[in-house]
Amino acid sequence: MNFFLLHQNHFKLFFPEVFLATSILLLTLYATYVASSRSLGFPLITRNLNRISVFILIITFLLVYNNEISFKEVYQNTFIFDILSTQVKEITLISSIICLLLFEESLLKLKINNFEYSLLLLGAILGLMFLVSSYDLLSLYLAIEMQSLCLYVLAAAKKDSTFSTEAGLKYFILGSFSSALLLFGISILYGCTGTTNFHDLSLLFSADFGSDPLMTSAIEKGILFIAAAFLFKIAAAPLHMWSPDVYEGSPISSTIFFAVIPKLALFTVFLRLFQGVLFSFQDILLYVLVLFSMASVVVGSFAALKQKKLKRLLAYSSISHVGYLLLAFAANSIEGTQALFFYLSIYMITSLTLWTFVLSIESTTNLNRSKTLVDLSNIVTANPLLALTGLLAFFSLAGVPPLAGFYAKMQVFVHTMGSSFFFASFFAILTSVISSYYYIRVIKNIYFEGLINKTSTDVFHYPVTRASSLMLGSGLLFLIFLFLNPTMLLLFTEKMALSLF
Amino acid sequence: MYLINEYIPIFILLIVAIGLASIILGASYLLSVQKPDTEKNSVYECGFDPYEDSRNQFDVRFYLVAILFIIFDLEAMFLFPWAVSLAQNSAMGFWTMMDFLLELTVGFVYVWKIGALEWE
Repeated sequence: MNFFLLHQNHFKLFFPEVFLATSILLLTLYATYVASSRSLGFPLITRNLNRISVFILIITFLLVYNNEISFKEVYQNTFIFDILSTQVKEITLISSIICLLLFEESLLKLKINNFEYSLLLLGAILGLMFLVSSYDLLSLYLAIEMQSLCLYVLAAAKKDSTFSTEAGLKYFILGSFSSALLLFGISILYGCTGTTNFHDLSLLFSADFGSDPLMTSAIEKGILFIAAAFLFKIAAAPLHMWSPDVYEGSPISSTIFFAVIPKLALFTVFLRLFQGVLFSFQDILLYVLVLFSMASVVVGSFAALKQKKLKRLLAYSSISHVGYLLLAFAANSIEGTQALFFYLSIYMITSLTLWTFVLSIESTTNLNRSKTLVDLSNIVTANPLLALTGLLAFFSLAGVPPLAGFYAKMQVFVHTMGSSFFFASFFAILTSVISSYYYIRVIKNIYFEGLINKTSTDVFHYPVTRASSLMLGSGLLFLIFLFLNPTMLLLFTEKMALSLF
Repeated sequence: MYLINEYIPIFILLIVAIGLASIILGASYLLSVQKPDTEKNSVYECGFDPYEDSRNQFDVRFYLVAILFIIFDLEAMFLFPWAVSLAQNSAMGFWTMMDFLLELTVGFVYVWKIGALEWE
């Protein structure tokens, strides 16, 4: 029994994850028995399962929030629990709960009736929670695989749609390619150092490790492979080709999840790896990050100019935002990291608001096709308040002053210049001017297109759901409030950044 | 240089493997009596002709069964080393495998109830 005493604290820390995993198993049994029961008449339990998932996630959030121990490495240092991981888990869980509440109606409307959808979403969230805490290259790989396997199936969730299955297959093939790159990089690192643990690696690299040129160059190659896999997963520019197609093809509920949730966890774990462990190899890494960031900003701005479909436009805009985030990553200072987390939090709030806006413009004529910019043209007459919300959310994404997006963007540029990346930050500022063109074009479509060409106004819009309207209202409140007084979020992100260094 | 020295056994193994494989293949090609006919030339492994029109219909159930087979095959692959090393393991090792089997059983129940194992 000695062993159980030894692991008592470890289990205490792991309790939220254990709770979530056990709930997923029980929910699987429940859903399987109910959905395949002949005596109940094979009922559809989408709404029921969605509500139960929200309940489970709320309990998991409370368990994470009430965690007593502020810093500990558990299970032979394979997982770490610190302020950063706790706070990122909190943000992930809250935004997942919001996502689940938002697209409940949309799941019913799109007739995604297979009960596995909610289970896979919970599985992806569990994978993200493991990912945030992982402190070993092996647990990192397994967590990434866990979340991305769930996401591949979520992309293909609408089984009768060719686009959805195509998106799922594309995501799967390209994603497994990037996982292979990650594994290759990890194996090179392991071959050179003999350990996969972050703690051991950081001790090893803090000594004078650069004496053997063969070894150093081999490790640099390994790091490049790991960085390539990471940049692929967050869809940075030359490795971004999957993201518009997957966003476009998959059902909108899955798209919202892809667009909002996984980026924060991925950034967290790779910040931990690149800044906490591989600091001896920063020269080559920063070079790569700045190059990828400039490429992302360019591709995100120029490719989005020609897009007519709303989902593709938002996908390209997310690529350019990844560019700004990578710039803050490359700044490689406490302030830069804080700016990254600040930007990412505000980006999550903004894009949740924006995707809710996209969800709310569903009409009877565009339910089963992807929404284009033309669909926006009669919103201003149908629902002026919704149009105003869309306008403010797009302005915040573009970084126009009285909204939180401006502050986030400014912070990124200031701290990047603080780390002497003058050319890259000026370049990013110039391209952000270009990217504000297509945000303004969307706003033109919302407000003026209906006046110029008289498009058909006899469109029946579905009413905005209760959850959507709550999200739109509170998202907008946050966007304005965080411009007036960002202290709360700044302190929150400062804590996250400080626990990395 | 020690990095390269460590790989010499693998290199020798590679050469021996290539040599042995080419000897076996070449000998069976040169020494045997060959009387090909249609049935002998056809593919008999997986049920489909690999070099035909890719737009033919095929039954997805073959793949479902194959995937399920792989999952439970892997389970057996995990069980063997665990069983051999059970004497050296602590209670953690034992209960980890019990947990794994339990979760696999949940998956099995799911597969059974949704009817993936039924052929007709």
